[in-house]
Amino acid sequence: MKRGEKSVPKAKAPKAAAARKKKGKAAAAELPSRFYGSPLPGVKPEELSGTLVVIEGTDGSGRSTQISLLTEWLESEGFAVQTMGLRRSYLVGEDIDGLLAENTVTRMTLALMYSTDFFDQLERRILPALRSGLIVLADRYIFTLIARAAVRGIGRDYLHGIYETSLRPDLTFWLNVRPEIAFDREFKKSQTISYWESGRDMSLSNDLFQSFIRYQSMIKREFEYLSKRHGFIEMDGESSVADVNRILRTRIASHLGIRSTHYTPSHALTHLWR
Amino acid sequence: MATITTETGRAESLATAPAPALKREYPGALVVVEGIDGSGKSTQLYLLKRWLEIGGYRIHFTEWNSSPLVKSATRRGKQRRLLTPTTFSLLHAADFADRCERQIMPLLHGGYLVLADRYIYTAFARDAARGCSPHWLRNLYSFAPTPDITFYFRAPLDVAVNRIVAGRPKLKYYEAGMDLGISLDRAESFRIFQERILNNYDAMVDSDNFVLMDGTVRVNKLQKLMRQIVGERISLQQFAPKKR
Repeated sequence: MKRGEKSVPKAKAPKAAAARKKKGKAAAAELPSRFYGSPLPGVKPEELSGTLVVIEGTDGSGRSTQISLLTEWLESEGFAVQTMGLRRSYLVGEDIDGLLAENTVTRMTLALMYSTDFFDQLERRILPALRSGLIVLADRYIFTLIARAAVRGIGRDYLHGIYETSLRPDLTFWLNVRPEIAFDREFKKSQTISYWESGRDMSLSNDLFQSFIRYQSMIKREFEYLSKRHGFIEMDGESSVADVNRILRTRIASHLGIRSTHYTPSHALTHLWR
Repeated sequence: MATITTETGRAESLATAPAPALKREYPGALVVVEGIDGSGKSTQLYLLKRWLEIGGYRIHFTEWNSSPLVKSATRRGKQRRLLTPTTFSLLHAADFADRCERQIMPLLHGGYLVLADRYIYTAFARDAARGCSPHWLRNLYSFAPTPDITFYFRAPLDVAVNRIVAGRPKLKYYEAGMDLGISLDRAESFRIFQERILNNYDAMVDSDNFVLMDGTVRVNKLQKLMRQIVGERISLQQFAPKKR
């Protein structure tokens, strides 16, 4: 929780874009821009008036719960919200589900299918939402995709290269939990542990618990590196739902200029508020 | 200096692009053909394949965009016209990765002569013509093994375009580059799109060691030349049937 907002305030974005155009590639590296590298073909960064908030964290870190609560809070404050997540694209979402079920897909192919899924959502849903001034809440983003591929031996520079045309989030929260806690939560939820979340394709251990812990520890190390590189707001995902939510609201409110961070979940969501 | 023409018409230097790493830690060999539609490359590779097959050589033939993996996604995207330059490019990269990891690399390690109808240069030429950054594309495909020989079949634009248009009642939407919005007329759009791709291929001749083949030469004469070049550059002996 040491670093706040790294992104350019929106009012300055057009200026930054113009300067970049003038100075070319060298300037792009110096100026924090809305994109990591050159923007996607055909996209004008200055048109994107919305805000992109990313929640990262492993399964069992409480991401989905927090996103449901934040959506309700933002809507009650009068902000329109769009969400995104992994495997939710129209183009390849179901195809990836099929590949994961078969367990025969190789690492590079899977990494590229996930990037197709990501960019389809980014171009078809997220950018239009941001052009209309919406708040986009992303249930995971490129960082999970990079971490998963990196622990399978795909180069970090290669992965950053693929995602250099993607949008830099305004805020990235990392709900950090110990692998043991994530294991408990996941097991309680589904009475088993998923093949991919325990990294069983990597032959780490025949014991499911050991495999899960080793895999999630590797992912966690990648996230520690990514957190430094991209300025995540790291949060204790083991705190209570209410505590995590309060900190998220405070950070988002200050970014959006909302005065009140008061919120009590509606009847429909009280079951999440443990 | 070699440059690539992108969708916006601006020229980007190829020299800034990272050169593909030469990875030859396998006993196999890789021969690829490249060129625009109608350049004659598939006919020539087919004849090369037949020659090697009949001789009993250990070969494998692979085609661009042929993995069953992304078939349904490609169909869905094309039917509904959902593909952007980025997702079009990534889907083809996923398709290539599947063939690369499950066929091309294992076969190269297993000592096969692999023949590829279109390779990563198709993506470099075509996706850059759609608007993807050449630098981004080079990185995307940097996991691909560098071919031992890349035959570039070059036919004048009119010759190639006429070969395609004459044989087809209707050009498909993406095939004609209609997604670029160059022209409402498919034949016209196809021609301009192919011209950009042709220019992009031409720009890679030196940087990527293409063997230039004149696509207007008679089929059997060109095939004779192709077989001769393969024989000179690759020791075919190692792929020959083992005598007992």
